[in-house]
Amino acid sequence: MKLLKMITVAFSFLMIVACGEKTDVVESGTYQGKIKEVEAEKTEIYVTTADDKILELYFTDETTLTKDGKPVDFSMLKENQQVEVKVEKTGNRLDPISVKIME
Amino acid sequence: METLPDFWRTTTFHPLSVHFPIVLLLFAFLFKSISLFSTKETFKLGGSILLIAGTISAWIAIYTGNLADGIVSRKLCDPTVLKDHENFAFTTAWLFTAASVIDLFIHFKVLASLKKWINYLLILLLLGGTSCLFYVGHLGATLVYQQAAGVYTPSEHCEEF
Repeated sequence: MKLLKMITVAFSFLMIVACGEKTDVVESGTYQGKIKEVEAEKTEIYVTTADDKILELYFTDETTLTKDGKPVDFSMLKENQQVEVKVEKTGNRLDPISVKIME
Repeated sequence: METLPDFWRTTTFHPLSVHFPIVLLLFAFLFKSISLFSTKETFKLGGSILLIAGTISAWIAIYTGNLADGIVSRKLCDPTVLKDHENFAFTTAWLFTAASVIDLFIHFKVLASLKKWINYLLILLLLGGTSCLFYVGHLGATLVYQQAAGVYTPSEHCEEF
């Protein structure tokens, strides 16, 4: 029975890990938040805003990335960095217009 | 003039690989369910083979889906559907992975004293996995048929053909 309990716990853990998390859609505008995750191979970032919304942002050819007013490479983005993002909502897609690294 | 894209591109690997787990895992569930009432080894062993093969193909489908994601997401009008598709795909794959492990337990007679409960757990996992599989398939279909995910749209006068 102890083993069965362990299997149940392992199964519950699996479900939590497997379910992933929802991302949010916000109106066009400028938002400040923290980088939750960077997916370099997809040039994609997840940003958690001050009101706890998670924005999934795929960089486009038009997206500008700056730090102290100067353009920087995507590799400069790290988890937990404070950023300011300007996004444009197209349908339910959020296109990042600009991303500023604040720290 | 537009040129017709090569068929063998990153976004087509996902639709090419995704139908294997759908068929294999649905039949795995069917075979394992029948094996509860039938003494024929065909359903028990056949179900196990289908389950393992289906689970492996599910992870391959996730890999190819992940490759397509980076390209497709930038063009979709509602990428939140893709996110749900991705999340449920992971849930499905993990449920069938857990079912495969449990099935191996049964096969190698690990926890033989709990055989009845383990069998119930296996069917429960397969039922959950199959339900998720249907939903993942539905979401995948809406991505293609409502948002043309990964689909090439020919020019108005089909000049590229």
